[in-house]
Order: sequence, then C-alpha cells, then structure tokens
Amino acid sequence: MKVKLFAYLRDYAGVREVEVSRCETVRQLLGELCGRFGERFEKELFDKENLSGRVIVLVNGRNILDLKGLDTELKEDDEVSLFPVVAGGR
Amino acid sequence: MFGWKGTILRVNLTDGSIKKESLDLKDAYMYIGGRGLGVKILTDEVDPGIEPLSPENKLIFMTGPLTGTMAASPGRYEVVAKAPLTGTIGGANSGGHFGPELKFAGYDGIIFEGRAEKPVYLWINDDHVELRSAEHLWGKNTFETTDQLLKETAEDARVACIGPAGEKLVLFATVMNDKHRAAGRSGMGAVMGSKNLKAVVVRGTKSVDVADPEAFYKACVDARRKLKEHPVTGTGLPMYGTEILINILNQVGALPTRNWKDGGYFEYAEEISGEAVREKYLVRNKGCFGCSIGCGRVTRVPEGKYKSFGEGPEYEAGWALGASCGVRDLAAICKANFICNELGLDPITMGATIACTMEMYEKGIISKEEIGMEAPFGNADAIVELTRMTGLREGFGDKLAEGSYRLASSYGHPELSMSVKKQEMPAYDARGIQGMGLEYATSNRGGCHVRGYMTSPEILGIPVKLDPLVTKDKAKWLKTFQDLTAVVDSAGICLFTTFAIGLPEISAMLKAAIGWDYSDEEVMKIGERIWNLERMFNLGAGFTKADDTLPPRLLNEPLKTGAGKGKVVELDVMLKEYYEVRGWNEDGTPTDAKLEELGIR
Repeated sequence: MKVKLFAYLRDYAGVREVEVSRCETVRQLLGELCGRFGERFEKELFDKENLSGRVIVLVNGRNILDLKGLDTELKEDDEVSLFPVVAGGR
Repeated sequence: MFGWKGTILRVNLTDGSIKKESLDLKDAYMYIGGRGLGVKILTDEVDPGIEPLSPENKLIFMTGPLTGTMAASPGRYEVVAKAPLTGTIGGANSGGHFGPELKFAGYDGIIFEGRAEKPVYLWINDDHVELRSAEHLWGKNTFETTDQLLKETAEDARVACIGPAGEKLVLFATVMNDKHRAAGRSGMGAVMGSKNLKAVVVRGTKSVDVADPEAFYKACVDARRKLKEHPVTGTGLPMYGTEILINILNQVGALPTRNWKDGGYFEYAEEISGEAVREKYLVRNKGCFGCSIGCGRVTRVPEGKYKSFGEGPEYEAGWALGASCGVRDLAAICKANFICNELGLDPITMGATIACTMEMYEKGIISKEEIGMEAPFGNADAIVELTRMTGLREGFGDKLAEGSYRLASSYGHPELSMSVKKQEMPAYDARGIQGMGLEYATSNRGGCHVRGYMTSPEILGIPVKLDPLVTKDKAKWLKTFQDLTAVVDSAGICLFTTFAIGLPEISAMLKAAIGWDYSDEEVMKIGERIWNLERMFNLGAGFTKADDTLPPRLLNEPLKTGAGKGKVVELDVMLKEYYEVRGWNEDGTPTDAKLEELGIR
C-alpha cells in the first residue's frame, strides 16, 4: 500500500511517500514505519502503545479515529496519509 | 477603568464633529467589546433595513478588554457595519498592531457616522483627534497610503486604511491595517469607501490597566504555556502557517476544486501547499501584537513574471485563487494574493468569483470578448489580471467587483455562485464535512468558516473527534463553537488560541482583566446573546429561514471521489436540530422566552 507523509513528518522520515506491503492493520503498518524511520518518528506517532495526539492517520481519506483506530484493517490497494496535527483557517 | 479604556470616539463625517463618549458599562458587561459591543451599538443606532452604502450606515471599529494586554494573542479588533455584500449584519476581525494602538491612545472604539463630502482620514494622537483631508491619498494603494500617512503623522503610528477597491465600492473590499492584516470579509472596506474615509491613523502612549494584576498574570502565563505546548499553536502554525491545511483537506477529499464542481480533490494540491510555500518562497514567519504563535508568512517570489513580495498566502487565499480556480502555479497565487492586500480585496470572494467566471466561461455563458481574455480553469495569468482589474473596477473587473452571486445572476445562473447569503463559502467542501455545511447555512454574515469552525473537531479532532460524514451531534457542537467564537471575537484575542485553550482559560483572563466575577456559564451566555442579537438584526433586514441554505450544488450534486464519495450536505436534518438547540421557533426566529433569558428583550 502507498503511505504519504506530510509536513515535518517528511523531515523525520526523509521521504514523502513510501510503499509498504503485508500489513494487515494500521498498528502493524505504523510499527513497520517506526522500524524504518527511527526513534524520533516513533516518538511523534506513539505515546507508549497508544497513538499520540500529535498525529492524524487517514486510510483512504478517513480518519482512523472514525474507523477502528489502530485496529483498522488494511488492504494492499489502500492509501494511508500521515499528518502532524496541524490547523489554521483564515 | 480596567480592561476597557472607558471612552468611545464618535466621529460624524457629515458635519466633521468628533465627540468622546463614555463607554456604556452595562452594555460592556453584557457584550464585552469587539464584535459583541459593535453589534450592540449598530443594532441600537441603525435600522437594519438601511442601504449598506448609504450615509445611514455606521462603521464601527471596536477593540476588546483583552486587546493590547499580555493575554494570549491579544492583537485583535473588529470592524462592524451592515454588510454591502450580503445585506446582513457585517463584521470582520483583524490582528496586527492597530487595535492595541487604539487602546494605548485611550479608546475602546470609534463610531463613524454619515459621509464626508471629500476624502478624509482620522488622525488620533493620544487625546488629540482630528479629521484631515485625504484627497492626496485617494487612488493610492494600501501600502502607498500607509507609507505616506506615517510620513505626515508619526513614524511609530499605526494605520488602517482602504485601497482603491474600497474607494470604488467593490462589494468585498477590505479594511487593511499594518499593510498586511485584513478585516477581510463582508465588504467593510466598501462601507468605509462610501463614507469617503480613507484611513484611520493612531498613535498611543498609554497602557491598559487590569483589575487583578496577579491573577491576570497567572492566567496569561497559563494560557501562553498551553499555546506553546500544543502541536497546532506551538509547532504547526508557526512552522507552516495556515496554508498547511491544503494537503490534509485534499487527502480527506474536502478541498473544493474548480468552483466546487470537481468535488474535494485537487490533483495539484501539493504544488500549492503550505509545505511548498515553506520550501519555495518563505522568508520568515511573523506574529501580530503580543502573539506567541506567529502564523503569518513573509514571502517572496524571487524571479519570473510573478516576481513579488508580501505576506501570505493564507490557506483561504491559497485555495480560493488556487484549487478553486484550478490554478497550480504558486507564484501566480502569491502575486494575486499580494494584489488583494495592496488594492484591499477579500481574497476568498475574489478567488471564488473568478472561479465562478471560469465555470461560466467553460460553459459558454460568458465569452472571451466580454472578459477580455481567455479564462478557462487553470489559467494562472487570469487570476492575477482579473484580481487587479477588480480592485480598480477596470473592464470586466467592474462586474467581478459585485461578487459571484450578482455576477452569476446577471447571466441567469445564480446556481453557479458558491455563496450563502451572497457571500462566498471558504475552503472546506461541506459535502465531506457535514458540520461545515450547517455552519455556512447559519452563519450570521453568510458563507464563512471563522464563526463556528467545525473543521476543528471534524477533521483535526480538536477538542474531540467527530465523524465528518455524519450529521449526529453537529448542531449541538456548532452552537457551542459559535457562542464561544463570539466571546473570543469580542474579548480582543485571536481565534487561533482556541486550538489550545478553551472557555476556562479565556474566562480566567477576562475576569481578572475587568474585575467582574462571571461564571464560565455566564461567559458562554454572552456569546449566545451576541449570536442572537446578530440574528435579530438579520431578521430585521428581511432574512428568513429560506436564506439558511446552501448552493444547490452542495445539496444535490454528490461528491465524486474521496472519503465522502456519494455524499451531499444533509442540511434539513441538521438545521431542524440546530433551531431546537438554539431554542428558536421552527421558522428560525428566536423565541420571546430566549430573548428574555438573554436580556435582549
């Protein structure tokens, strides 16, 4: 599946986009990414085992908090987007 | 006097008289200041049925008790008048340094009445207040005007002024202060222009006293710490500015594209995103008076045909001139945005009106000859040139100057205007964010996102996560957001603080500043009072339930892609709940009991 990274998560990971396969849940996928991108990335994503309040994870545009959280299931053709919590509006 | 300064200037432009009036403390306790007090004064003194650009309208500049203090992001003031774009109660909030300076000069606000025979500006130097001729400034843009005024008054003064767009009564003209900050929406600049008032220049050397300095200091430190620690106000906004929202709204499928006809996904969003602004053109970030966030962007396009320098684009301007027009050229978007600031135009309505033109052009409703150029979606030159022409009412710009609703209606196609109550909706496709649909339909100044920002819970999950695709609980949350926002706009602090702090922190600062022991519930009640008073003004101006609606496109044309694929805005369900939650009748009018409870009647 395709994973897109945004804002400073790109700096943390060193890439904007990455292909990952064989992850059945969001938890597995994020674990895999933390393994690849290291401690700084992991600290941004997780508070212990829980998803931190500093990131937004979308699966095909749906926030995982509106789905099954970290247990949200993934398919090979899904698109996952990772954002730091950012905001604004004029 | 604590928090407030206790004096309001009343300037009659028809006869040139200037009076200093005592602030009505009873009104101040009930409406706080800023937007609330401005609306209260306008409602007391102006018949809602008047023509907005007539001398009968009044133009009110109003600060809040926290403006110019050490509260969190305390640089705000509000401009209030009946709005020419919508015919509703108008109002627009701005930051920078102008509002605090007005307090330092000793005034909570200024009420402008009548109409000057020739162009004038108001010069306030502490206690000395005078009207001066502005004939030599007429026609100058906001930057030239500001520079010239600082030369002839004091170099450390602060200037709020209109550009050519305000002079020429462009219905969505802004009041610009400190060159780059705008009281942007609903056409306050046109009201200023209709009064022949070019500028207000203020210099103040006093300070703002607070009732309980110790408690106030503690409350401010607490609020500022929370702002620093929060990822949005501490990191996201300072680093990327508001334009950072482009990518996330695009990924959730709610970035309105090509006049909202292509749904919520713009294939070139990355090229106009906050990340791209930071990489390509950002010089530095910049904050308003006393602000620890610093979301402003100082930007430079260093070369090419759109070479330019200024501030922004904010998310809204970047979207309106970008995705909304199908334009992917960030340099052109920057340039058009800078022109908006220089000529004094609201970039949301500007971009949305160009987008409406582009759709009519592609549908063969307007010809190349009429516009004076080819104007398909994606034409970067067109957004720059049409923006300039609008600010000067040149050629086809004279039609654009009326906004998209009047433009599209004049060609028999009002349904192509993406507006509510004739004001263009901002950058959130409500088919993919249901609560925003209710927000647009009920906002007291027409299509607007900053008077009940449901994107915060629905997309960002702040303060709690709400599912954007369902209608459940949206009415209840929207009421809370609308009422709290009215408090924020009236207190004189920035709405962006509310990502990190809420009612308890805002109440604590307010109470310690003015020395009045409100409960948090009473503070929220003030917000509700303001909201209902604005509603009463609009009902008096002839608005009804039928106006609490959305463009047919949002109600009938489902999103084609993205998470919200197949969705339209389920407005009927939410609106009914909303009237109930508000304690209004089924026809959307506040009940007598509600008005009595709020002390409005």
